[in-house]
Amino acid sequence: MHPVIRLVNRNLTISLNKGFMIWQVIFPLIYIFVGGFAYTALIDSVSYGNKTLGYPAYIASGMIGFNIMNSALVSGIIIWNDRRHGMFEQILVGPFTRTHYILSNVYTIGIIGLISATLITAVGYPLFFESVEFNFLTMPLLVFASVVGSILFGSIASIISTRLKSSEGFNVVINTVFLFFAFVSTAFYPAEGSPVPLSIAFYFNPLTYLVDVVRAGIFGNFDTFVAIEMLVLVTLTLTLFSIATKLLAKLEL
Amino acid sequence: MSCIETKSLSKSYGVINAVDDIDLSVNNGKIFGFLGPNGAGKTTTIKLLTTLIPPTAGTMKILGIDAIRSPLEVRKKIGVVLQQPSYEPTLSVEKSLEKYGMMWNVERKLRQDRVEELLLSFDLAELRNIKNDELSIGQRRRVQVAREFMHDMNLLFLDEPTVGLDPSARRGLLDFIKDKAKDGLTVFFTTHLLNEAEYICNEVAIINKGKIIAVDSPEELKNKFGREKTIKIHLDTIRKDLSDLLIGIKDYELDFNSGTNITIRSNDSEEVLLKILQILTANNIVIEDLSAIPTSLEEIFLSVVNKSNASSN
Ligand SMILES: Nc1ncnc2c1ncn2[C@@H]1O[C@H](COP(=O)(O)OP(=O)(O)O)[C@@H](O)[C@H]1O
Ligand SMILES: [Mg+2]
Repeated sequence: MHPVIRLVNRNLTISLNKGFMIWQVIFPLIYIFVGGFAYTALIDSVSYGNKTLGYPAYIASGMIGFNIMNSALVSGIIIWNDRRHGMFEQILVGPFTRTHYILSNVYTIGIIGLISATLITAVGYPLFFESVEFNFLTMPLLVFASVVGSILFGSIASIISTRLKSSEGFNVVINTVFLFFAFVSTAFYPAEGSPVPLSIAFYFNPLTYLVDVVRAGIFGNFDTFVAIEMLVLVTLTLTLFSIATKLLAKLEL
Repeated sequence: MSCIETKSLSKSYGVINAVDDIDLSVNNGKIFGFLGPNGAGKTTTIKLLTTLIPPTAGTMKILGIDAIRSPLEVRKKIGVVLQQPSYEPTLSVEKSLEKYGMMWNVERKLRQDRVEELLLSFDLAELRNIKNDELSIGQRRRVQVAREFMHDMNLLFLDEPTVGLDPSARRGLLDFIKDKAKDGLTVFFTTHLLNEAEYICNEVAIINKGKIIAVDSPEELKNKFGREKTIKIHLDTIRKDLSDLLIGIKDYELDFNSGTNITIRSNDSEEVLLKILQILTANNIVIEDLSAIPTSLEEIFLSVVNKSNASSN
């Protein structure tokens, strides 16, 4: 077996545990069902492109993007834990190179991103069933969102975990950053109708773009704007990924 | 054949020469002890030899491979237990051994056999389902060392492997390593505990301030540096007049306890002993017990390190 596959195997073994399932499945479910239906009283429906979505359908599709982002956290946690528990060094005195290590993390978050997007799509499906407009772009857009999104947020998490020293620092920073991403985005509520500064801030947030791509895939409203968003996502991802890779490659032992 | 061969190997951190111009040659099938006080450069040497960090200068061949040009080739053939702990917090003891074997591409069946063997050898069978996170430091260290035997290797590096172990686990581990060396494994072993080196090493290098100051077998080191011997003579009666009788003789001490004890500490302890014996027989003093205490590596180590510190100041 190739060394990268062996490392991916190991990464999945240490990441896919009960905590992960709660974080990735139970927590979003509570959000969709409790949050989604509770807020229906406040937000009756959301106009989206040329159609009107019920709030549960809106939030369920947003949760897919949110989940992809969360799964990317896993990679940051792997790197952080490997450094803290000596496994980073141990792997690097074993039959692996830093490139193997970096690639294995990329594949791991890609896989976890796909798994969790699939899970949440399956769970949320009944909610956006009525508004769904699957076409030949649906799958490519969802896969694009899972892969690009997980590498993008994975790079952010990885940059944070290579830069920081203390454990409290890591948790505080990563939670703050991801909380910002989550709530200053269109994952939970639409830009229209939000205060103007907030709706502008939404578009300084990659999660907004990611969620737009997911929704375009599910509700069949791919257009030039979404295409531009995809381009922005790819550019940002490539930039952050190369920074993350450089930092990891130069990490002092 | 030479297993480890370095020429002028050096590593500096700013102004600190952590490893300073080291020439090492370690032969196959040996347990090579690398001794030195804290901060001497043992860990840095291991990190260099295992290709974890690049040297500032010098060359090194590990198992005949140029370790600077082909580090991955070297790493595929060696086992390494670093000084710092390393573990997978969320995995059980058993699972972490198993996964480590997988990472080394050990075939599944063999992996399972080795896990069982190692759980027994390292006294971990009862802990097999416990998560690493919940182990004590000593237990974790045992898992870390055991884990390294999941895969085949030609050369094993151990950086202070017994730190944190209780005496029986420590002895168990040393005996396990001894057995592996009998089967042909070469071991590079660092410690600051001399009795350990004395117990398992065929050859010992003493390092201080990044420089190697002595290399030899433990016995030869003792011959070279440990000519000073301690001899104890016990008399069954207390003879307060003994110091008068022994006037003119150097390098001895008296103490009166249950009888009289004469302790000789000298480079020429035999000669001193002879003189004292003559005086004792001339005065009809009965010797109840006489014993020679060989110098421990510990004393040699301290005296060699102290001399090296003195000469560098
Ligand atoms: N990464 C590093 N940066 C700066 N100095 C270091 C680093 N690693 C080791 N040193 C210094 O190098 C010297 C040797 O350290 P080390 O090899 O850990 O010694 P030992 O293992 O014998 O206790 C010490 O003075 C230590 O402070
Ligand atoms: Mg050390």
